[in-house]
Amino acid sequence: MAGRNGMSEQDRRRHRALIVFQIVVYGAMVAMFLVQLQMFFVKDW
Amino acid sequence: MTSMTLDLHEDESRRAQKAADRWLIVGSILMGSLVLGPLGLPVFCRGIYLLHKAQTAGLSVRPMMVTLIGYVIIIDAAINSIGWGLDVFANHALITRTIFTAWGNLMDGGYFWHYNELWIGGAGAPGEKSWIIICIVVVFPMRIAAGIAFLQMRRWGHQWMIVTCWFGLITWLGYIINMTMYADVRYAGVAFPVIGWWLYNIFYITPFLAIPYLHTVNREIFSD
Repeated sequence: MAGRNGMSEQDRRRHRALIVFQIVVYGAMVAMFLVQLQMFFVKDW
Repeated sequence: MTSMTLDLHEDESRRAQKAADRWLIVGSILMGSLVLGPLGLPVFCRGIYLLHKAQTAGLSVRPMMVTLIGYVIIIDAAINSIGWGLDVFANHALITRTIFTAWGNLMDGGYFWHYNELWIGGAGAPGEKSWIIICIVVVFPMRIAAGIAFLQMRRWGHQWMIVTCWFGLITWLGYIINMTMYADVRYAGVAFPVIGWWLYNIFYITPFLAIPYLHTVNREIFSD
């Protein structure tokens, strides 16, 4: 029983880490997109 | 009697897997060639349909998620290898000079601005060129090899798929940060700046979405 709880705890931590990872990665990409978008509105391309 | 039924089931499964893979491989080769992509898609979809049919019939075939991830990674690497291979090795060919610079003029000045003016030819920005070379020499061959072994459900295929997907993440983040640093130059004078580039590239950016799946899938299904 303890083993099973240990497993699920580990799984939960792994899932949480993967969610954080995805937020960071997509956040970085969206940030780059927003920088470009801001330039798009300001610059005379 | 039981073992005979089991053998039959195994034979039937292997036959169904082979039939589906035949369509999937031909579809992938067509789509991976870049220009024949529209022809390849229906062929590929027929393979997916056959695999789905075998699965619902209760045969033991490769899981759908493994199939989709494996083939998409291979197609993505193949398409980009051809495009960027032309940029590095055939940058003075008439077709490259015409299509690449026209496309560059449309949405990505990286393929218009100073095109063919470096000692190596092709895209003229040093950062862009570095990403192109590292991708076609290291990343894409690695991705195709990993994709094939992944589809064969080998253990090293699963391991290398994880490695190559992380590499894909580094590549895309590095590439996008690099282009944003000189976005002023890259988008100057093009017809559809920013929005055009993102709409076109969003599909290429997605393959590392597989990372969470690869880290949580039961790795025992991949054998030596």
